Amino acid sequence: MLAVDGMYCAACAPAIEAALRAVPGVVDAEVDGALQRARVRWTEGRTQVADLVRAIQALGYRAQPARAAGARDEQRAEARRALWRLFVAGFCMMQVMMYATPAYVAAPGEITADIEALLRWASWLLTIPVVLFCARPWFAGAWRDMRARRIGMDVPVALGIAVTFVASSGATFAPGGVFGHEVYFDSLTMFVFFLLGGRWLELRARRATLGALDALTQRTVDAVERVRDDGTIESAAPQDLRVGDRVRVRAGQAFPADGRLGAGDATQVDEALLTGESLPLPRAGGDAVLAGSVNLTSPVVVHVERVGDDTRYAQIVALIERAAFERPALARAADRVARPFLWAVLVLAAGAAAVWSLIDPSRSLWVAVSVLIVTCPCALSLATPSALLAAAGALARRGVLVQRLAALENLAQADVFAFDKTGTLTEDRLELSDVRWFDTRGEGTGRGEAAALAAASLHPAARAVAQAWPGAVLATLQRVGERAGHGIEGFDALGRCWRLGSAGFAGVHEGSAGNAHTTSWLSCDGTVLARFAFEEAVRADARSTIAALQADGARTLLLSGDRSNAAQRVGAALGIAAVHAGASPEHKLALVTAQQAQGHRVAMIGDGINDAPVLARADVSVAMGQGTALARSHADLTLQSGRLSDLLAARALAQRMLRIVRQNLAWAALYNAACVPLALAGALPPWAAGLGMAASSLAVMLNAQRLRRD
Amino acid sequence: MDILFLLVPMSVVLALLVIGVFAWALNGGQFDDIEREGVRILLDADQSPRSGVDVHQGSAQHGLEQSA
Amino acid sequence: MTSSIASSPPYDDDAVRGFTVMSVVWGIVGMAVGLFIAAQLAWPQLNFGIPWLSYGRLRPLHTNAVIFAFGGSALFATSYYVVQRTCQVALFLPKLANFTFWGWQAVIVAAAISLPLGYTQGKEYAELEWPIDLLIAVVWVSYAIVFFGTIGKRKVRHIYVANWFFGAFILTVALLHIVNSAAIPAGWMKSYSAYAGVQDAMVQWWYGHNAVGFFLTAGFLGMMYYFIPKQAERPVYSYRLSIVHFWALIFTYMWAGPHHLHYTALPDWAQSIGMLFSLILLAPSWGGMINGIMTLSGAWHKLRDDPILKFLIVSLSFYGMSTFEGPMMSIKTVNALSHYTDWTVGHVHSGALGWVGLVSMGCLYFLIPRMFGRKQMHSVPAINLHFWIATIGIVLYIAAMWIAGVMQGLMWRAVNADGTLAYSFVESVKATYPFYVIRFMGGLLYLAGMFVMAWNTWMTATAGRRVPASPLAATAAA
Repeated sequence: MLAVDGMYCAACAPAIEAALRAVPGVVDAEVDGALQRARVRWTEGRTQVADLVRAIQALGYRAQPARAAGARDEQRAEARRALWRLFVAGFCMMQVMMYATPAYVAAPGEITADIEALLRWASWLLTIPVVLFCARPWFAGAWRDMRARRIGMDVPVALGIAVTFVASSGATFAPGGVFGHEVYFDSLTMFVFFLLGGRWLELRARRATLGALDALTQRTVDAVERVRDDGTIESAAPQDLRVGDRVRVRAGQAFPADGRLGAGDATQVDEALLTGESLPLPRAGGDAVLAGSVNLTSPVVVHVERVGDDTRYAQIVALIERAAFERPALARAADRVARPFLWAVLVLAAGAAAVWSLIDPSRSLWVAVSVLIVTCPCALSLATPSALLAAAGALARRGVLVQRLAALENLAQADVFAFDKTGTLTEDRLELSDVRWFDTRGEGTGRGEAAALAAASLHPAARAVAQAWPGAVLATLQRVGERAGHGIEGFDALGRCWRLGSAGFAGVHEGSAGNAHTTSWLSCDGTVLARFAFEEAVRADARSTIAALQADGARTLLLSGDRSNAAQRVGAALGIAAVHAGASPEHKLALVTAQQAQGHRVAMIGDGINDAPVLARADVSVAMGQGTALARSHADLTLQSGRLSDLLAARALAQRMLRIVRQNLAWAALYNAACVPLALAGALPPWAAGLGMAASSLAVMLNAQRLRRD
Repeated sequence: MDILFLLVPMSVVLALLVIGVFAWALNGGQFDDIEREGVRILLDADQSPRSGVDVHQGSAQHGLEQSA
Repeated sequence: MTSSIASSPPYDDDAVRGFTVMSVVWGIVGMAVGLFIAAQLAWPQLNFGIPWLSYGRLRPLHTNAVIFAFGGSALFATSYYVVQRTCQVALFLPKLANFTFWGWQAVIVAAAISLPLGYTQGKEYAELEWPIDLLIAVVWVSYAIVFFGTIGKRKVRHIYVANWFFGAFILTVALLHIVNSAAIPAGWMKSYSAYAGVQDAMVQWWYGHNAVGFFLTAGFLGMMYYFIPKQAERPVYSYRLSIVHFWALIFTYMWAGPHHLHYTALPDWAQSIGMLFSLILLAPSWGGMINGIMTLSGAWHKLRDDPILKFLIVSLSFYGMSTFEGPMMSIKTVNALSHYTDWTVGHVHSGALGWVGLVSMGCLYFLIPRMFGRKQMHSVPAINLHFWIATIGIVLYIAAMWIAGVMQGLMWRAVNADGTLAYSFVESVKATYPFYVIRFMGGLLYLAGMFVMAWNTWMTATAGRRVPASPLAATAAA
């Protein structure tokens, strides 16, 4: 089953069917223009999905396997239903308002009774679709709540709508009877319309927030070019890719899987959607590329390492989906408050009805309805989720993925920041920190040869040398070869053997060697010429991030399991006073717990692999975006871009979010405090109550949208 | 205002019809992917009419209708 | 050189061509009659004592000719043109479309004969007697069949917004016409309305205002939404807004009618509804105007060089002005001044000359060359000339009528200290005289513009024929 996109004309279907049938191996093809689906049966082995897709593409349409398109269809159907409800409510509201206006503008007795009855009948007729169809979500919700024996938000709203409708119907068919003389069909339709309007806006905001998801799903590739062992190219479907395959990715195409570039390839990629990095990034042979990112400049061959659900792209998609549906603590707290509040509302409404039945029975019903409607805690329940969603969306656009929305609250309030060293404060590459020349022939001899050897290898140490000397003149060497695990060697014009690599490889005697991981040696024909010392490269923005946090009054800690002096050096370089090197997981846990016991909120920034218990213990955990880390970590936030400065941005946004949540809650409280007495006093007609409720919900939503503007 | 006994029921029926038409439009996908549709009319070429007009040499020199 | 591009569907444009040309013709006729009756108001001698030339009989001829003959033909032409191209398919039942052309011409001719002869039902914009009403109904139902049939066989799933406006216009006009023209015949050219008294007035203005709203607004908005983007070569500013605009207009138009009956026997509450909904109408109308004008956003320079765009965009400004003026005038207190004065006439003509006239001209200038295998009109400077003459004419017209109208209203309500009227009616007539003359001059300019258009149309249509169609000339040139 294929989903065909771009079929804007019903008459395209036959053309597509014919094209599909023409593909060898296809037994039958049926195209439904309305559903935009093609059902194809083909003989296994004689053709592949990719061929079908290409046949359709040749006609100018896009096609993809139907299951990938399922989510979009569901979204579209939901959006349509919501729009449909909104339209019917709005349209009926306008008509009912027209029929109701004469009653408002006419002097008493000016409209004859039969005309009045006619107008009420017409209003009643057009209110029915609104009550039965448009307001269904609230009735369904209230029914669910009542069966679960609890009070939810939908109950007062549903009750209000039902009471208004029944009473107005009574007044229409038996005027002067127990339901009194007034009809409120116009108020009813109006507040259902406003409620639906609020919901529709919420749906759109949610979809915009999850727009990252849509954008990502657009990146699915239709067909890939797999390189066979003999070098020829075959067409394949992305699902058919296996680890170890090689695929050719052209410029402008998205990478279909996670992998590494083949040696000798070089291009630029756009990983903006995955990491938030807006500049094109250079990638050379051996560099990792990610499924979903776009190959910008040159065609390359990719060695596939992860496919399908293992790709980071698929995980990001899953993360976003999960994050969107979780109800964070703030919202749950709001719900907890809402519950007794709703009981109070019901009691108040009943009480108001009772009291008013003594004062002025004709108004008792309407006062009760007004109380029910105006006290809707929608604003209260919307206050937090709307802000959280908006914040998550804003962060997603920056490349910060939020897995637990609740963590944003903690991030805003965190005052202790504990950093892991390797991979967090430092990048996963080496930096040349020191070069000692031993050669008595003069310092710097052998520079060109060292540079030439370094350029020929992908080893981190070699890359570090190459990056440290970007303008170096490379000497010409013949028969340059790399011996894995040892080093690189080459021969110059005089036949001398130059070697760059480990101590043993370069012919260094034991004793003067340093730490094997952090030194390399250059030798010429066995004579040691230079020693290169390497360090982990500290992230460029680490220092400024630490400084900013400290300036803000937060404490920073460096927790590292690394026993060497490196931790101390990094801590000193970044200005972190409290360095705990050589810390075991238990030690780290104890440190964090101690901080929390003192009342601090601790944010732990690490890569998650080693520190699972600590991350779980911390109030908020932040992971740097690295492939394997993402797979195993349960970090609350992930800095996709690998930029530490995004932590600052996330924190600032979280603080803004908290402010907005507080504003929203304050507004919801204020609104209720003001309107409930008014409704009880009979000063708030139902239509005003509906308007107020909808307006307050809208206000909360719109306030939250401010977060999306950076 | 007895005429309202004609006009009001007529407008109720009309309102229901309009709702029906909107339903048909919505389910027919008329409101999907809206922004693209605004551009569509600019992409198609208008042709000269096939009937009635003799396309003489004079007008042939001016060429046939290209898309505007 | 072959005549058509093989890959695209051939369209049926016979009816389009016919209506396009007749639009120009009836425009001249209708406006000439209008000019004549304007002259009669200033110089009543021009009635000549001849019944067929009397003001009372010629006025409905003018209104019917400009609305239904000129405006109607333009609507037929453009709707048939647009529906084919937006649906990528030829007309449904092209012969029926041709029938609508000839049927409509018959209606117009019948009107042109019967109205001066004095046959009238006495209902504004619905004066034609019952046999002609029947013919209108037949033609209109055929029109609906052709139009909706074409949409039914469309090759493009989405129905372009212009077609929604056309479709709504066709259906509502059918409903309005049938309900309002209900009459009991009492002879071949005599009938009595099915409604009586104030009930009839209500139906009449339910019809009258919705005729304005759907015939003169929705239909021409359909034109606007197609031809402005096409001529400007840019999509509508916000397609989403255009759809919202459409549905919003549908919501609110039906109940604005009573604003024509302020301070009449119509119950006060009915008048109030009319006022309220006329005011509400302001919003969707302006939405449409903004949408159309902003289509040129980022390309305003095109207005400098393209006179067709001038027509189209300026028409929208008049549309905006009229749809602001209208709701203002429907406020009871304002209406107390304006009702029965020439301000109403000014309002009508700012909408008719400014909006309906200019947008029709712009669209016709687009269509005419294409109907005759040309890329543009014979003379583009002539289009420009027409634009400026017409615009100046409009300004003179409406300014004259505003002043006259307000003056009349003030004079009629002026009372002396003892409560008697300060002015007699004839004094207000005398005071209006100079403005009638100015209005006449404005109308003269407007009609002159139409003559320029007619000349241009003639030159464009006959350009092909004036070059000898010999194959030898072709091969010699090749």
